[in-house]
Amino acid sequence: MIQINNLTKKYKNITALDNVSLEIKSGEFFGLLGPNGAGKSTMMNLLAGYIESDSGSIKYNDELVSRDTMNIRKKFGLAPQPLALYDDISAETNLKIFGSLYLINNNELKSIIEEKLNSAGLYDRRKDLVKTFSGGMKRRLNLIAALLHSPEVLLCDEPTVGVDPQSRNAIFDYLQKINEEGITVIYTTHYMEEAERLCKKIAIIDFGKIIAQGTKDELLNLLPYKEEIFAGKNEKIKTIYNSLANFGEIIEHDEKYEIKLQGNFKLSDIFKLFEDSGIEYSNIDFHKPTLEELFLNLTGRRLRD
Amino acid sequence: MKTILKLFKKDYTLFFKDKVALGLTFLVPIVLIYIFGKVFGGVGNGDERLQLGFINKSFAPVAKKLERVLDTTKTFSLIKTYKDDKGDIVLYDTNMIKNHIRSGKFSSALIIPEDAYTDTSKSLKLKFFYDPKNQFETQLIDGMLQQTIMQQVPELFQKSMMRRAETDLGKEAGSMFNSEIARTVNKFYKVDTSLILNNNLNTQSDTAVNIGGNNMFNNIIDIEKEQLVGKDVANPMATRSVGGWAMMFLLFTITGSATSLLEEKKSGVMIRILSAPVTSTHILWSKYLFNMSLGMIQLSVMFLFGYLIFNIDIFSNLFNLILIVIAASTACTAFGMLLASLVNTPRQANGWGTLLILMMSAVGGAWFPVSLMPESIQFFSKLTLVYWSVEGFLAVLWRGAGFSDIWQYLVVLFGIAIVINLFSIYKFKRGNVF
Repeated sequence: MIQINNLTKKYKNITALDNVSLEIKSGEFFGLLGPNGAGKSTMMNLLAGYIESDSGSIKYNDELVSRDTMNIRKKFGLAPQPLALYDDISAETNLKIFGSLYLINNNELKSIIEEKLNSAGLYDRRKDLVKTFSGGMKRRLNLIAALLHSPEVLLCDEPTVGVDPQSRNAIFDYLQKINEEGITVIYTTHYMEEAERLCKKIAIIDFGKIIAQGTKDELLNLLPYKEEIFAGKNEKIKTIYNSLANFGEIIEHDEKYEIKLQGNFKLSDIFKLFEDSGIEYSNIDFHKPTLEELFLNLTGRRLRD
Repeated sequence: MKTILKLFKKDYTLFFKDKVALGLTFLVPIVLIYIFGKVFGGVGNGDERLQLGFINKSFAPVAKKLERVLDTTKTFSLIKTYKDDKGDIVLYDTNMIKNHIRSGKFSSALIIPEDAYTDTSKSLKLKFFYDPKNQFETQLIDGMLQQTIMQQVPELFQKSMMRRAETDLGKEAGSMFNSEIARTVNKFYKVDTSLILNNNLNTQSDTAVNIGGNNMFNNIIDIEKEQLVGKDVANPMATRSVGGWAMMFLLFTITGSATSLLEEKKSGVMIRILSAPVTSTHILWSKYLFNMSLGMIQLSVMFLFGYLIFNIDIFSNLFNLILIVIAASTACTAFGMLLASLVNTPRQANGWGTLLILMMSAVGGAWFPVSLMPESIQFFSKLTLVYWSVEGFLAVLWRGAGFSDIWQYLVVLFGIAIVINLFSIYKFKRGNVF
């Protein structure tokens, strides 16, 4: 278990992390969701022991994590946000270099590299220079370079930046697979879709502060509404406007109404109202709230503002 | 055209982005032009004084005059004394002056022997000991010495010519010959030759140089030259210059390698390395070891190449050569690491590296003998690792110096390395790289 207590990190006048406390259970797929500059990478660098905090502590299974605790570093693997690879040498040599830093026996390292290259679909390109790789291939290589020493915790700092959707899905599948194998994954992103898809537990960070944390459902419960219904503007809808207001707040847009459902009622009640009014289903769009909306609700800004 | 202008503007935008590197773009050539101007521009302008060992054993007036002239000229700085083991100042004798040339204290000495110029001498006898470790310097001293004698002691030429005529033709015929020559010169060149015939000579005359030249000089001044060092060196030119060039290229290589720390930081590789069980101390030590070994390999390859192509003798004093190679590589590595610890970007490192390496090479004697530089520059020469390395290589390859003669170079080079390393480690621990 990773326990982060009252962690603060400042860079000159900027507070990158402000009294952050988190708890991440072993085997969890934990997401740190926030916009650019929120403090996600600082948190990862602190977890990796790359930088030292100004105050507060990080403990892994009750052992302090810091720049000086080498044995903890063996249990963590970091896939940094920049592509931390040597471009002018082959993928295989890159992995040999980074694997050797963990003092893994040569033969063992060779078989690990082979296995990791295979699992990432890069084995056939192992002899090629990294600079000839696509963005997605580099990202996968960046990821497996963090796993050569079989860490207990994988720190993924925005691993899908600059990656096409197909490669992104491959990375998701790979991460889910290793998480199922027991590795704790801490994943930072500013894409709420990624956090929603991958992470069992999510902390939302903004300006160095954790503004919400929990499972996706727990987070969405923080919203004052559960679901939304969009209904195209027409005469029939206007006739039931007052009745719809009983189900929640109505926001009027140019071409549609947005109904944020609030209160205790059955969904069938509202659909019956539509049906009785002769409104066609094609004119209605049912929408479940997202973390993006939660972020907007909590901060007044969008994640990618 | 608009597109070209947009691209043109883009390049300037990028160019102005790194202010330090931008400054260096202009600072590097300005500083180098200034340094080169000081280093090369001073030669022959009287700014520098060539060091010349000197002993005068003769009581002849012409010898005394020559000593006085050499003493007062701006060209030479005569070294007539040394400190003995007790710390007393003593006049040089021939053996000691030779020893000091052999050990590299200075490169040339002029001896005026007791019988330099007697009543019957037809030429002035001089002895010239030299160490051509810097060929240019030796040639310059030789040339300047001849010019000084001919310009400042012209009566010597005139007396010698007259004595030679009287000896070769007999007293009477010689006297007539001299008178005839004087008359002819007087008739066609309108020169008052009565002064010559009366031996009442004008010492400011430079006639001898103009009409005599070097062949004439050889007839009236008999210089016995003895090369004290490097007589057996197979390829003097290559042996003398290999150290300087090797040092300059080594500095470029090591600096490039040391600043790879900045590239690793920029690419993010440093984060990955430091997230492994690796400390900044591990990284610094590995870089030191790599750069030192790279330096040693590069120097070894260069000297081996010199041996194969230019027949430079690297094996007869191999142990001492290895010691200097190790010391020079260590000092160069320290310089490279210092640079990496002080700058923020690879571009800044390139700019500062080029500036400092070319400055150190020019001032430190990699291209040009330090002894010919102005004294103000020579002070800075001794502050550069290039100077001590080049002198060390010269001592080993040119003079065949043993450990007792090179230990001071080793101490200085290792000393430079230790001081710079301590400072760069301090900077690394507080800087931006880790």
